[in-house]
Amino acid sequence: MQTINKNYFQLFSIPEIYQLDIGLLGENYRGMQVEMHPDRFVNAPEEEKMRSVQRSSALNQAYDTLKDPLKRAGYMLELQGLNVEQVSQHDLGIDLLMEQMNLRESLDKLPKNESALNALNRLKKEVLEKLNSREESFSNMFMDSELATAKKIFHEMQFLQKLLIEINQGEEQRLGY
Amino acid sequence: MALLQISEPGSKPEKPLHRLAVGIDLGTTNSLVAASRTSVVETLADDSGSHLLPSVVHYSAELEPLVGQRALDKLAIDPANTIISAKRMLGKNLLDIQADRDTNKATTFLYQFNRDNSDSIPQILTVAGLKSPVQISADILGTLSSRAESVLGGKLEGVVITVPAYFNDAQRQQTKEAANMVGLNVLRLLNEPTAAAVAYGLDTNDQGKIIIFDLGGGTFDVSLLSLQRGVFEVLSTGGDTNLGGDDFDRVIMDWICAEAGLGEITDSKLFARLRNAAIAAKHSLTDMDVVEINCENWQGVFNRAKFIELSADLVNRTINTCRRVIRDASVSVDEIDNIVLVGGATRMPVIQEAVAEFFGKRALTEIDPDKVVAIGAGIQADVLIGNKSAKDFLLLDVNPLSLGIETMGELVEKIIPRNTTIPVARAQEFTTFKDNQTVMSLHVVQGERELVSDCRSLARFELREIPPMVAGAAKIRVSFQVDADGLLSVSAEELSTGIIAEIQVKPSFGLSADAIEEMLQSSQENAKSDMEARSKGEARLEAQQLIEAIASAIEVDGGLLNEKESLLIKTAIEELRRAKTEGGSVEIRDLTEELNRVSGNFAARRMNLHIGTALRGESIDVIESSSD
Repeated sequence: MQTINKNYFQLFSIPEIYQLDIGLLGENYRGMQVEMHPDRFVNAPEEEKMRSVQRSSALNQAYDTLKDPLKRAGYMLELQGLNVEQVSQHDLGIDLLMEQMNLRESLDKLPKNESALNALNRLKKEVLEKLNSREESFSNMFMDSELATAKKIFHEMQFLQKLLIEINQGEEQRLGY
Repeated sequence: MALLQISEPGSKPEKPLHRLAVGIDLGTTNSLVAASRTSVVETLADDSGSHLLPSVVHYSAELEPLVGQRALDKLAIDPANTIISAKRMLGKNLLDIQADRDTNKATTFLYQFNRDNSDSIPQILTVAGLKSPVQISADILGTLSSRAESVLGGKLEGVVITVPAYFNDAQRQQTKEAANMVGLNVLRLLNEPTAAAVAYGLDTNDQGKIIIFDLGGGTFDVSLLSLQRGVFEVLSTGGDTNLGGDDFDRVIMDWICAEAGLGEITDSKLFARLRNAAIAAKHSLTDMDVVEINCENWQGVFNRAKFIELSADLVNRTINTCRRVIRDASVSVDEIDNIVLVGGATRMPVIQEAVAEFFGKRALTEIDPDKVVAIGAGIQADVLIGNKSAKDFLLLDVNPLSLGIETMGELVEKIIPRNTTIPVARAQEFTTFKDNQTVMSLHVVQGERELVSDCRSLARFELREIPPMVAGAAKIRVSFQVDADGLLSVSAEELSTGIIAEIQVKPSFGLSADAIEEMLQSSQENAKSDMEARSKGEARLEAQQLIEAIASAIEVDGGLLNEKESLLIKTAIEELRRAKTEGGSVEIRDLTEELNRVSGNFAARRMNLHIGTALRGESIDVIESSSD
């Protein structure tokens, strides 16, 4: 299988920072796909076609990772040799658990019909704000090489992201689709 | 002063070679072919000037098959040998088709099938022999390509064929096979909504987010694309395979029935007359506000307000699908820059107005909604064959349904989620479940649900000769690769030995449109019951692992137990075994806990014994690193 020796940031020629320029990332990604996509190798020999499928797939994988704030954070920690799959008790502070419990409680308490839509929207906003502020602190901690703290924030972001998905599902159920 | 160009004597100035390539919209009801003739791509007409080719083939004993309108004319006289809607049978087996027939809509499959092979490609008995949906599609493609060759005056070097975004692997494969049968070189299979966006995108040189709203006769598809500097990126897709223009006819029919006091319709001729009256009324309302209906000695006035009222539910369903697709891509409604309408049913003002209201802007209607897909395919064909500069544009498409693998407990582990940009390669590591397991069987599935039985099985294969190891020690990497046509191949590799097994997923059957719809809908409705089922599956798995671990521990260290302890543990195991097959997840969890409790002392004693042994034989850091 094709391996790319550069990391994803280097691949797209963008600075290795958390708060990256999404517009530039997308532009470079598309520019590279224009060169590497299998559509450019329709009349090429079989071997080149295959190589193009592999390269194009790798590009998609890299772009998919970097464009998503959570995946990007996890990837940056992994680049620093941290295992983000492994969550220790230490990573989850009591304040995080309390916050999660409160948010979840407010979600569960909401009526299961359309009357909850406004409240859901407010909850979503609250979670999004928390997520945004976590992203900012992740960026700061990472820049200061406070990797343990950065990892802790990453796990908090995972929790919030999961909650956000549940809020969205709750919204869909209440909208009836 | 300008320099004059002087060419070498005898050489001609280089003229770019124009290679012939066409786009084909292979539709359920009608098909079209489009190509670039001067500078614009347009659909090609037959000798009699019609662009639409009815997707109908008539077979006779002596003559060549008839395709198109002439075949359609035979439908009333010789229905058994006149095949319509072959596209609905692509990628399915006979059992799937029979299942379709049981649902109300697929009343079209009234042919004699060869019963000898009900689990492989269906074959229709005609006077010209057995005909598969692939063969029938090939005959349609053949007619379109000869039309193109005679209009363009040369041999085709390549074609782009459009398929519904929801076509699965088998359906895509068979579409390709049909083309190969008539000697066509398939440059690419292109999703229909994507083709529609292409048709608009290049002319206007737009930038932004585009919704493709495709309401056909019987199906509805929505796609969200982003266009930036000539690169199309599909952000998300969704649809409703049981919603189409036919349903709008139906609500008008029901209304006429009620108003005229006709009761339930059982006579098929009366049904046909009613349907014609409904369709006529619907068409008239496109340009007028009020229409008079005369039907079965009944006269009535039907107006647009009434139609809006009757079709409100149907319209709502289309808008809800739009909402979902937009949400899937994490985009908001006001970010949508353009809406492209596809399919004849989008000519209805009720649809155009609902779309305009929801999106806050009117949809693009410059291109004939019946031709827009073929035109987009024609543009793409022109680019792929090399007539247009490579820098002009690129399509980045997504896979419409999640792909995954069956894991223990009949759960699905999704490897490639839906709406992932293709081509894509993803790998995940799995391990063995039992000690000394040397074979791992892999089951590839497609769908959104958490349980294997609710998803579609695509393929099964085995990885053999895994070296004997304790459960959980082997590392098997399963890799999925989806190419730019949306076709999947899977491989599995045991990492320590490098033994590889792989498969190109080519199942002999595929998903019916209804099955896809049902799967998508139930994945939403059943998210909760899925979680319960998943929880039960996991509880069972945990229970099984504990039982096996304790059983093998007793085999080795059974001597550490006295008779009473041994009996307690054995009883707890029996209880848990029973709950595992009969009980719910809570009971299984409780009894697992119980077994853990009664075997706790045994485990502690074993631990002490083995740590003692280990300390004597090995260095400390091995123990430390193995205990974290």
